[in-house]
Amino acid sequence: MGELKQIRFCGFGGQGVVLAGTILGYAAIKDGKWVSGSNSYGAQARGGSARSEVVISDDPIKFPHVIESDILVALSQSAYDIYIKNVARKGALAIYDDLLVKPSHLRGVQQIGVPATNTAIHQLESKQATNMVMLGASVAITRIVNRQALISSTIENVAERFRGVNVKALEVGFKLGEHI
Amino acid sequence: MTSREIGGTLSPGFYYFSGNEAVAEGAITAGCRYYAGYPITPSSEIMERISIRFKDVDGVFMQMEDEIASICSVIGAVWAGAKAMTATSGPGFSLMQEAIGYATLTETPLVIVDIQRAGPGTGQATRVASGDLMQAKWGSHGDYQTISLCPWSVQEMYGQTIDAFNLAERYRVPVFVMGEEAIGHLRERMEAKPTVEIFDRAKKPGAPPFGTNQDDGVPPMPAFGEGERLLVTGSTHNEFGIRKTDDAVVHANLVTRINNKILKHRESIIKTEPYYLDDAEIIVVAYGFTARSSLFAVDRLRKEGKKVGLLRLKTIWPFADRIIHQIGRVAKKMFVPEMNRGQVRGEIMKYVGCDVIPYNQTDGDIIHPHEIMKQVRSLL
Repeated sequence: MGELKQIRFCGFGGQGVVLAGTILGYAAIKDGKWVSGSNSYGAQARGGSARSEVVISDDPIKFPHVIESDILVALSQSAYDIYIKNVARKGALAIYDDLLVKPSHLRGVQQIGVPATNTAIHQLESKQATNMVMLGASVAITRIVNRQALISSTIENVAERFRGVNVKALEVGFKLGEHI
Repeated sequence: MTSREIGGTLSPGFYYFSGNEAVAEGAITAGCRYYAGYPITPSSEIMERISIRFKDVDGVFMQMEDEIASICSVIGAVWAGAKAMTATSGPGFSLMQEAIGYATLTETPLVIVDIQRAGPGTGQATRVASGDLMQAKWGSHGDYQTISLCPWSVQEMYGQTIDAFNLAERYRVPVFVMGEEAIGHLRERMEAKPTVEIFDRAKKPGAPPFGTNQDDGVPPMPAFGEGERLLVTGSTHNEFGIRKTDDAVVHANLVTRINNKILKHRESIIKTEPYYLDDAEIIVVAYGFTARSSLFAVDRLRKEGKKVGLLRLKTIWPFADRIIHQIGRVAKKMFVPEMNRGQVRGEIMKYVGCDVIPYNQTDGDIIHPHEIMKQVRSLL
């Protein structure tokens, strides 16, 4: 059996958590992986905490939801507080926005703060690009997908007029991730 | 059945579609060129994608005033020669039941996709259930047979939608794709192969459109405008479509044939998938999303050395009575987890003598693999 990784993005509705998950999932398909993805849906996605799950595997995926996340990416405190309780018992990694999340101390979980919001505001002059900075940083840290696959997935998943800023945000995120 | 290139609809390759998007692509690949529907959560992405993609294939998309008009419009389009479908969820499926009966008696091939949500009534629109299975079987009045498929993945939402059109055309019958919210909104890797098997309805100019010599036969189907005299009625009719509302023999023969044309071919319609059945003492029977949870659970239990197996139902109606009967003779117990109050468990009990243990969850959530493991362990 090959490797299976469970990734969960979480944050407020409107932060682009669902888009980040979709882009990551499609990038993994470009890498030749099996992928299942699901999002929070309905009333829970409006205003409250949003969640996007991606399961990436070398083999066909039996159960398509995240059971416990190997990688948690958090863009809000309230979502972090919920989903940090559901990380893998061994080798889990939590990546959080260092402006929006104050991590709790947990044994056995490696936690990495990324200045995604700050970077998006100061380098890209777009707070809306935070999700893509975070996605880029997360991929640089975890190498869960190929960077070129991630860029081409982004180009195919966002409207033409937003492609430039999204790809730039990814590249800025890659650099952030490399230096952490 | 002919093999056809899918070029012009979807390029061969891998996609990251939602289940609902995959249904739309499957329909287009199967040759569906007419869609009438009324939006309803959690199925609306099907009609949304159809409305966009039909521009590429010269299809006709209609948003109707409600679900009754939608299904009636689909029936009309089929008699005009099109392959046609609609998609809905529980409340809309309820509204369609009268016209489904009309479609069975007029032998109108069509596809309805029901993305099941938590009912009854308006229930919980955004949450999952599989509570419409008995409605798919018995929703309209009188004695009739239809075909219901039960996809468990995005790949099958695509593939079974194609199958649904082929079965509808082959048997001139409504076919239901009984999806669930959790599959409709799941995204997964989906492969579009370069070629696909397609069945087109049989044509035989001059032959009677509503009768054959066999009691399980499927007559050829002309369309309006092809130059034949054509009467279509939901009342009892002879092989030429002429109303015979007081003729016992005609009625008995017609009802027998529209049932037999499905039941006598059920072995080629029914599809199941066995996992670890050879020495299994406890056999889980599951379908749809719950079968994904069940496979995960059974796999884990096998690794612990437990003699547990899984029979996955890919089709629900006609029911897999023969294989259920066979495995019921060797299993000590059967375990049937369902997102309803035991609709398929009741059906299984007709064909087996062993204990059939239900696990029914109707809280609008999926059944988690760990719940299935816990329940099965308690039976060992």
